[in-house]
Amino acid sequence: MKLLLALMFAAAPPSLAAQTPHQRLEGRVPAAALPGIDSLIQQAAAESLPTEPLVQKALEGGAKGIPVERLVNGVRHGLIQLRDARAIVSRATPDRVTLDGDVAAVAAALARGLDPRLVERLLAAAPPPGDPPGPVLHAAADLMTHGFPADSVADLLKTARQEGLRGSRLLDVAVAASHELQREGGRTPAEALARVRAMMPNVPAATAPHPKVVTRRAGSGS
Amino acid sequence: MTGNDPRLQEALDGERDPATLPEGLREAYARLTAAADLLREPPTVSVADRVMAEVRRTAPVAVVSPAGVARRVARWFTRPRAVTLRLRPAWTLAVAAALAAVVLVPLREGVTPGAEEGVAQFVGHFPGARSVEVVGSFNDWRRGALALRDDDNDGIWHGAVVVPAGQHEYMFVVDGERWVADPLAGRYVDDGFGAGRQNALLVVRP
Repeated sequence: MKLLLALMFAAAPPSLAAQTPHQRLEGRVPAAALPGIDSLIQQAAAESLPTEPLVQKALEGGAKGIPVERLVNGVRHGLIQLRDARAIVSRATPDRVTLDGDVAAVAAALARGLDPRLVERLLAAAPPPGDPPGPVLHAAADLMTHGFPADSVADLLKTARQEGLRGSRLLDVAVAASHELQREGGRTPAEALARVRAMMPNVPAATAPHPKVVTRRAGSGS
Repeated sequence: MTGNDPRLQEALDGERDPATLPEGLREAYARLTAAADLLREPPTVSVADRVMAEVRRTAPVAVVSPAGVARRVARWFTRPRAVTLRLRPAWTLAVAAALAAVVLVPLREGVTPGAEEGVAQFVGHFPGARSVEVVGSFNDWRRGALALRDDDNDGIWHGAVVVPAGQHEYMFVVDGERWVADPLAGRYVDDGFGAGRQNALLVVRP
């Protein structure tokens, strides 16, 4: 009995946090893709870049059944974006330590199609220490999606920060601007931005979802 | 004649000359004294020695071969065994309840996610679909982790999950095979695999 229990413990899979990227990918991506992906992840680690976005991209490709060559290319594309993102962060905030989370957030913004110059401008606009760049970059990308000009977007978000808005409240600014744009009777982008600027810092806050049943997240290793 | 004959007893006790006994009793006297003589002498070979000698003679010579070891191990694993578990019911129930709470029981309205977590709510209109699930970066793109529900069969599938605050890419998988970007997401990002497909993007607030 004791032997059986010992074998069970020995055979138990290690927790996701303790698993290497290779272990997490084994069996989840085609075996033929694994060496190429391993190599790219090792390159990222050697360059002190975050590796989790690459692991996620590989897992995504494996789940979607992407062919090997395209899968490896997708991960390689992710590595290039991380390099570009780190360069932008370093230029925008030369006197600050570059954090993995900042690099990943900028890479995600680039993947959303945000102009690298706008990204750099938003990062450089006196970002408060400890305020992660993700929300402001998503707010900018949301505003750009609704057709607001890049310069106006940068100015609006700069004003919002000066008004003391931080984190997800910056997302509320983008939501308010899009609501103003869609208001009955129609507004031009300039009018919509002027309205939002006038109501700052008291832009309406988003309401949190209150679904009746919420399941716990399962299978996440991030 | 019986063993209780007093004349025989007297002869055995040395109180009577055995020669004076009738013939039948003399024979009995002779058998009994012979038996007593046998018991008085120690046996030349003990019972234990004889048993062990028999065992050694009949036991096969043990030859340990790898195949034999494998058979014994296989037999050990496959033979049914009676297992006695000594459990403390209170601890066992507590552990079972905790596991059930984490794995099986959905959170009810009013439960607050952690400080760095938020609730992601998904709704999709897929009339006629047999199943809809959400697969994304928040569950390591693992299939089967979050199934949406359409309890009233109106084609509107919904579900919610607690995830870490921040950005998450995801897709709906309809009927186990069709990958669909959430039409209501509002935010999309190229999936980077070169076919022009987009993932839906979710920004979860803490």
